[in-house]
Amino acid sequence: MNRREALKRTAVLGGTAAVSTSLLGLLQGCQQQPRLGWSPTFLSTDHAQLVSALVDTVLPKTDTPGGLDVKADMFIDLVFDKTLDDAGKDQKIAEMDAFNADCNARYGSAFHELDLAQKTEYLQEQEANAPKFNGGVWGTAVGEQPPVGFYRSLKSLMVWAYFSSEEVGKDVTNYDPIPGPYQGCIPLADVGKVYSY
Amino acid sequence: MPNYNIDAKRNMTYDAIVIGSGMSGGWAAKELCEAGLKTLVLERGRIMDPAKDFPNMHKEAWDYELRGSLTPEDKKKYYKNIRTGFIGEGNKHLYANDEENPYTEVKPFLWVRAHQMGGRSQLWGRQSYRWSEIDFEANARDGHGVDWPIRYKDLAPWYTHVEKFAGISGEALGLPQLPDSHFLPPMELNCVEKDIKQRIESNFPGRHMIIGRVAHLTVPHNGRGQCQSRNKCSLGCPYNAFFNSTTVTMPAAEATGNLTIRPYSIAHSIIYDEEQGKATGVRLIDSETGEMMEYFARIIFCNASTLSTTRILMNSTSSRFPDGLGNDSGELGHNLMDHTYRIGAMGTFEGHEDKYYKGRRPNGIYIPRYWNINEQTKSDKFVRGFGFQGGASRPGWGRGANEDSFGADFKASLISDPGPWEFFITGFAECLPYHDNKVTLDTDNLDKWGQPTLAIDCDWKENELALNAQIEVDAVEMLDKAGLQNIVGFNNHHEPGFGIHEMGTARMGRDPKTSVLNATNQVHAAKNVFVTDGACMTSNSCVNPSLTYMALTARAADHAISELKKQNL
Repeated sequence: MNRREALKRTAVLGGTAAVSTSLLGLLQGCQQQPRLGWSPTFLSTDHAQLVSALVDTVLPKTDTPGGLDVKADMFIDLVFDKTLDDAGKDQKIAEMDAFNADCNARYGSAFHELDLAQKTEYLQEQEANAPKFNGGVWGTAVGEQPPVGFYRSLKSLMVWAYFSSEEVGKDVTNYDPIPGPYQGCIPLADVGKVYSY
Repeated sequence: MPNYNIDAKRNMTYDAIVIGSGMSGGWAAKELCEAGLKTLVLERGRIMDPAKDFPNMHKEAWDYELRGSLTPEDKKKYYKNIRTGFIGEGNKHLYANDEENPYTEVKPFLWVRAHQMGGRSQLWGRQSYRWSEIDFEANARDGHGVDWPIRYKDLAPWYTHVEKFAGISGEALGLPQLPDSHFLPPMELNCVEKDIKQRIESNFPGRHMIIGRVAHLTVPHNGRGQCQSRNKCSLGCPYNAFFNSTTVTMPAAEATGNLTIRPYSIAHSIIYDEEQGKATGVRLIDSETGEMMEYFARIIFCNASTLSTTRILMNSTSSRFPDGLGNDSGELGHNLMDHTYRIGAMGTFEGHEDKYYKGRRPNGIYIPRYWNINEQTKSDKFVRGFGFQGGASRPGWGRGANEDSFGADFKASLISDPGPWEFFITGFAECLPYHDNKVTLDTDNLDKWGQPTLAIDCDWKENELALNAQIEVDAVEMLDKAGLQNIVGFNNHHEPGFGIHEMGTARMGRDPKTSVLNATNQVHAAKNVFVTDGACMTSNSCVNPSLTYMALTARAADHAISELKKQNL
């Protein structure tokens, strides 16, 4: 997909969401407050609700599993808990507080309490404003990397958590553990989708 | 596993002692053992049993608790090695513990170490290139450093010797600046690389873009299996398809019945006997008990890796050699080199969107040096030159974080669309040998065994920076002419050591007054001591050095065996 196509798809997504706003808002209004179905280790309940809602918005369940189906939110809690040092944890907490505070200022609710149209609108702004990751060569980024901010950093983690899960890696993407001798030029149609890793 | 004889105490005297079991030490052990010499290999770390010491060989991302990430404790333990960007949950145990093995960076220098049998041969990039006549003549031609005491013709048969055993895949091209190896069939370029190759070669006469020459078996070879493109080499290869010391040369040495390996043995110093005028053995510290022990042999091969070998020589003082064994010239510890690295360009390629590849090829493309290889290519800005490594691939779901979208279509696209073809090249430039770039013994900072550590004082100078600037200019220009889009040039100014090609500090030379080793890698004034790892290098070319270490080691071992037979050592 080239950049123009990517933009086009984003536009389509925005349009779809706009049409559905009223219906979804209605449905959501009838539901109880979203409840967390798991016990986080590092995240507070508020923050876990934020992460779960972001996972569900960025990687929703469709005909393929959603991020919540493969427990991407629980994995992110584990990764924060086990890989961040104390300063990193404090920073992450501050970022999540700031994210929710901004949502509150805008919509009067935390992110997980927004309806889908509001979530979509808010994340589209995040997408537009967050710097992107520089390219990398063999494990290290090239050039001066500007801070990508909480949203894009978490998005990267969400995508990784989803695609590195066993369920997605084995059953959704093309799992090819022992490819054999490298073949440099085959029809994409023969593979059909992206490789697992 | 092979039945390594680790009960070394039965006999403290051997025909040969090899310090280190990595890339060059494995070759020394194999060649000496195969010649019938009872050989003791001293390994600083543990023995690696292929059957149980590569526990992650078959793991997938989801089989790791953190799917590859490191904990803060890991990041502390490997706080220097981690700068490579190569360490993860699956291979961290193959890197040395930086907290237990400190060194001082007088100027920034990354020193990557692997303290177990096989050393860094388990972790290397496997790119394998012969040096050329241009490389061996370089110092004599432009006056930097001292002249190599050998030429390409001296080493050519030994390249062939090691290539036939190790298995190097590649394509023969007859380029004077990159002599052909004895090749196994080359790996394949992908369709985008083939297009870019054609465009670069037609726009830039004299430049070539070729498939990387690598120590991977593209066909079964010497009882080892063919590469299956898993690209999990450092985790251990179930097919034994890439060359390394752990599972290739050391087992060959062991098969002779002449090998003893002593693990947990930190070489402290080489014992020099003034009356005999030669070395008689090696003093070591058992890293587990702290006990100091002495082992004896007729010849000693130093293959501890460039800087560790030099540290051992510096630590080997006597009244004959107050400044370190073989340091009559004062050059021991000096003329440290590495390749500059991580300068180049990347971009996206339009076309072939309906094409893909199969396999995670553990290899890429190579653009051999094209500057200063003859009168027509002479630069007025710098001496020597650089080559490029790189490759084309599609990012797959890895592009997700940078996409502008999210939601159902976003997810569907990451599953079904591999994304645009991306291509990058990154240069490796030659570094001149400067007396100022040096290591010294640091007796103020001792390691946990009470031994002096190293202080490393090395930086890039004018010529390297001029080469780096040219790398970026050339990289951007080649990608532009090759029709790439969204081209980004980069120059990351990495510190020396980052290339993990550290060389020099005990250089070969013709004159004992200006060098440490002679033409057959013997310490000038202690001829039964051989140094055949990266420490011996007199200049550093711009190509990856391991194949040259292998060839130099086999050649030196042959000379040692011949001299022993003649009773000359």
